[in-house]
Amino acid sequence: MKRTVPLMIVMVGGILMMIQYFIPHQYSQVVFDNYTEWAPIVGAFALLLGVGSLTRVHSHRIKRKAPNWPYSWAVLIPLFGMPFLALIWPESLWGGSDSPSVFHFLFMNIQVPIQSTMFSLLAFYIASAAFRAFRAKSALATVLLLSAVIVMLAQVPIGEIFGPWLQNTGLWILRYPNLAAKRAIMLGVGFGILATNLKIIFGVERNWLGGAGE
Amino acid sequence: MNFWDKMLNIDRRWIFLAIGVVTIIPFLIGIGMPITTTTEVEDIFDFVNELGPENAIFVAFDFAPGTQAECMPMAVGVVRHAFHNDVPVFMTAYFPLSHGMMMAGFDYVTNPSIDGYYQVVEFAEWAHLREAGITTKAELVTEWENEGNVLPENAANWVFEGRDYALLGYAPLFHLVILGMTSSIANQYPEDANGNALIEMPMLNEHKSLREVDLALTTAGSSACMSWITYAREKIGTPIAFGVTAVMATDYYPYIQSGQIIGQMGGLRGAAEYEVLMVENDVTESTGKAFRGMDVQSADHLLIILLIIMGNIAYFAGGAHKRHQMKGRG
Repeated sequence: MKRTVPLMIVMVGGILMMIQYFIPHQYSQVVFDNYTEWAPIVGAFALLLGVGSLTRVHSHRIKRKAPNWPYSWAVLIPLFGMPFLALIWPESLWGGSDSPSVFHFLFMNIQVPIQSTMFSLLAFYIASAAFRAFRAKSALATVLLLSAVIVMLAQVPIGEIFGPWLQNTGLWILRYPNLAAKRAIMLGVGFGILATNLKIIFGVERNWLGGAGE
Repeated sequence: MNFWDKMLNIDRRWIFLAIGVVTIIPFLIGIGMPITTTTEVEDIFDFVNELGPENAIFVAFDFAPGTQAECMPMAVGVVRHAFHNDVPVFMTAYFPLSHGMMMAGFDYVTNPSIDGYYQVVEFAEWAHLREAGITTKAELVTEWENEGNVLPENAANWVFEGRDYALLGYAPLFHLVILGMTSSIANQYPEDANGNALIEMPMLNEHKSLREVDLALTTAGSSACMSWITYAREKIGTPIAFGVTAVMATDYYPYIQSGQIIGQMGGLRGAAEYEVLMVENDVTESTGKAFRGMDVQSADHLLIILLIIMGNIAYFAGGAHKRHQMKGRG
């Protein structure tokens, strides 16, 4: 039962929405409108499930004093602290409503700098990796290396000192060889997604059920 | 260990230091190297430039803080361009974190401390004008100023919430929200991020669904932008434009050629090109953060290319390639 009911829901829902796409009728539109109104609501419940699961896992880690357990507090405190600030204490830091709320203040001054810093670190690692790994070891590696150098220079204003040919060559690489390769990959991925979706809808692929009912 | 081997095994902290120095100095100096524009960005600019108050666009903030350095200037540029042409703008967010980015981007366009900002008139402030049936931008500005409101000297124009913009923000399962908006925007967003009823907004009454919207620009740091193609462009034909990070830009060239997107801003370069186009067409008086950032990117790219060349010279001159080949045979 635990497996049959979800499989039936997926099959009926999947086939219904596939057929609906090709039927421009009023009833078909009603089905579509109802689906698009209900699905985000169901999604919001999945969010609650996620919060519950995360809380359970990390509270167990704290209770058992598992390795690195203090970091679990770093998950749980913001997890509940930020919604608390948003819902219970929406006023600004200074009391008025003109200046940003405490929630916004924390978001802009903790979350944003942390994520920006993490992403910025990429520049340092890319430079180090380029020095150590980008070698013209073979003909193909040399083509890759030269293409990368041309595109990198063509993307920045300083590349223009070498003349318009550099930017034109960089754009040509992006618009033709790159495009052709990407299209081939995307078509392959697209057919793969189609096949996987059909397998899920018709119950051939059941990994998404996890271990339920076994 | 000879000189070349020492060079190959250089402590990576020296490379980090070099990148740090090369990044900071152009920021402090501000070289302002000229940037030529590409058709991918010009097409977006021209499209927005031809729109007016009777049209509407979506600007989707589909990125997290990590990629804001690249994506934020694109979104801010297009919002500013739309406000300049009195084009109503719906702003959305794909992720919870991008909701914060949307608010930050809007703040950047409407912050009085930045010259050329747009002075906000909140939804409740002009309720009496709405009740009097005044909803067109030109009439609103005239009536608002007749009431004694004066546009600050460094402001570009007024923007009326619900007439010129709506901050829709984040909603769960956003790809389904896009799908739902092809039928009705108000069904997906009964209220905006500030708690105002969408149904009372003049811009919503003129543009009830994505079918009545002229462009959706998605600024994204992930494949979230693809949802706009799948659910808006392919279902109802909404024109889509991309603003994506530089590493992602190569992925989406097929969509430009197939005509599924009207253009693409790729990375900081794309944003800088848009800023240049805005200055050339008198939309803004000066370029912004992206243009300035291109000096830094120029210096960084040049350094990385130098490092690649040095690495290869050391590799071949020091005989490391021969040792590598022999090791391969063994």
